[in-house]
Amino acid sequence: MEYILETKELTKRFGKEEAVSKLDMKIKKGEIYGFLGPNGAGKTTTIRILLGLMKPTSGSIRIFQENLDTERISILKRVGSLVENPSYYPHLTAYENLEASRKILEVPKARIQEVLNIVGLSDVTNKKVKGFSLGMKQRLGIANSLMNNPELLILDEPTNGLDPSGIIEIRNLINRLANEAGITILISSHLLSEVDQLATTVGIINKGKLIFQDSIDVMRRYAQQSISIKVNDSEKARNMLFSNGIKTNYENGRILLPELADMEIAEAIRILVESGVSIYRVEEEKRSLEEIFLQMTREEEDD
Amino acid sequence: MIKNLLCADFLKIKRKGFWFLTFLGPFGVVALQMVNYGVRKDYLLQQSNDEWGYYILNVSTFTPLALVLGVVILTSFMTSVENETNAWKQLIAFPVTKISVYLSKLTVLALLLFISSFLLMLFTLGFGMILELQGQIPYGKLLKHSFYPYFAVTPVLALQLWIAIVSKNQGVPIAVGVLGVILTYSAYLLPDWMIWKWPSLINEWDEPLINVLLGVGVGSLLYIIGMFDFVRRDVK
Repeated sequence: MEYILETKELTKRFGKEEAVSKLDMKIKKGEIYGFLGPNGAGKTTTIRILLGLMKPTSGSIRIFQENLDTERISILKRVGSLVENPSYYPHLTAYENLEASRKILEVPKARIQEVLNIVGLSDVTNKKVKGFSLGMKQRLGIANSLMNNPELLILDEPTNGLDPSGIIEIRNLINRLANEAGITILISSHLLSEVDQLATTVGIINKGKLIFQDSIDVMRRYAQQSISIKVNDSEKARNMLFSNGIKTNYENGRILLPELADMEIAEAIRILVESGVSIYRVEEEKRSLEEIFLQMTREEEDD
Repeated sequence: MIKNLLCADFLKIKRKGFWFLTFLGPFGVVALQMVNYGVRKDYLLQQSNDEWGYYILNVSTFTPLALVLGVVILTSFMTSVENETNAWKQLIAFPVTKISVYLSKLTVLALLLFISSFLLMLFTLGFGMILELQGQIPYGKLLKHSFYPYFAVTPVLALQLWIAIVSKNQGVPIAVGVLGVILTYSAYLLPDWMIWKWPSLINEWDEPLINVLLGVGVGSLLYIIGMFDFVRRDVK
């Protein structure tokens, strides 16, 4: 399999502290790669290294099958990026901000209007960025990252600090870019819910280490289901089930059945009904991805 | 690449007062002589038979001070444009080398200061003519006093740019700058090796050209050191 971006044992040390530790990140063409981790896990550091803003202490990075260390310029010509808070020149208009980038990137002037249309800022083209809302600045940042028609887009926390409607806007925009323009996207976030509906692949980083990297479907499989039952006499119900070979857990006045096949659940309920226990509720409890994410990062800490 | 960066840098300094300062510096220096000659023209004309020479000397008393002040303010402005929203990370994530980014910043500053020096020459000449000074206009001296300080100030420019670009706290370059201005003000008392003395064109051998050559030489050296330090560092 050919990867658009591949790091091998990427490590970055600040003094004694290891911010990124032996990271093996793999991104396939056309993917939306959700790069997740709590604040301070090393996401931004990793992204800065990927863009050549920081030099890794050790390890290698290949982007478009080329070595970042030696081919930085030719690689960056095909990469668009937005790192952390948007950078802009407040005293310049939206157009002038993009014009400054255009001059460096040597793309045609028409591209400015194109990217402004894509991010929906065409009606504020000639307004100074000073007066923009955070959402608009963020969109200008994305417009800037699209100037050179990138094949790989690296977005570091693009929805940070935005209100819910702003987050949805950015999410739709990213979806459109991936589906319509076929851009491979690396998007980092500390909130799983943000990339949940976007990402095709997820990488989870905690304390500088990549603790999970696979498709989002594999991650969803971690979302074990369980059936919770509420009855009038929990003690009796549990004993009845146990004597029939069904192990249960007890939590907050509810009996929890671990993941069982439909037939086994039917069986358990039949036993309860026949034994005369009143069943108030039978519910399916699904762990959200958010909980899995939290659990994963917590497990890592317990080790 | 460097041409593109220069175009972008000139765009970025729009509406920031760079051009106004470029004009204000030389105008201020000559304006001081407007006051001086306005108040006591007769007295001043009596001081020397060489009216033009004496006038140019008077103008150039304040040139080093204005120049060093200009260097400090412009370099600080220049880096504040990128520092304000930490645009360095965006700039350097573009397909450009850090060497060219640094060179571009220096070139813009050097060009602005060159324009200032050129304006200084024009203003000096212009006001001299208005004063109707006697004798031939000493063009050679005029050129020397307008452009020699410009070359002699190169080390200060290279030093200030280096400090301003790598400092996280902009108080540092300002503090060094203020100290530099004070040192320039007391150039007469300084030993010859201090770079802040050089724009005054004074030295032991009474040969201004030494300051020019030393300035360009040491300036280039400081520029190269600063550039490599910038390349070596991680971007904030």
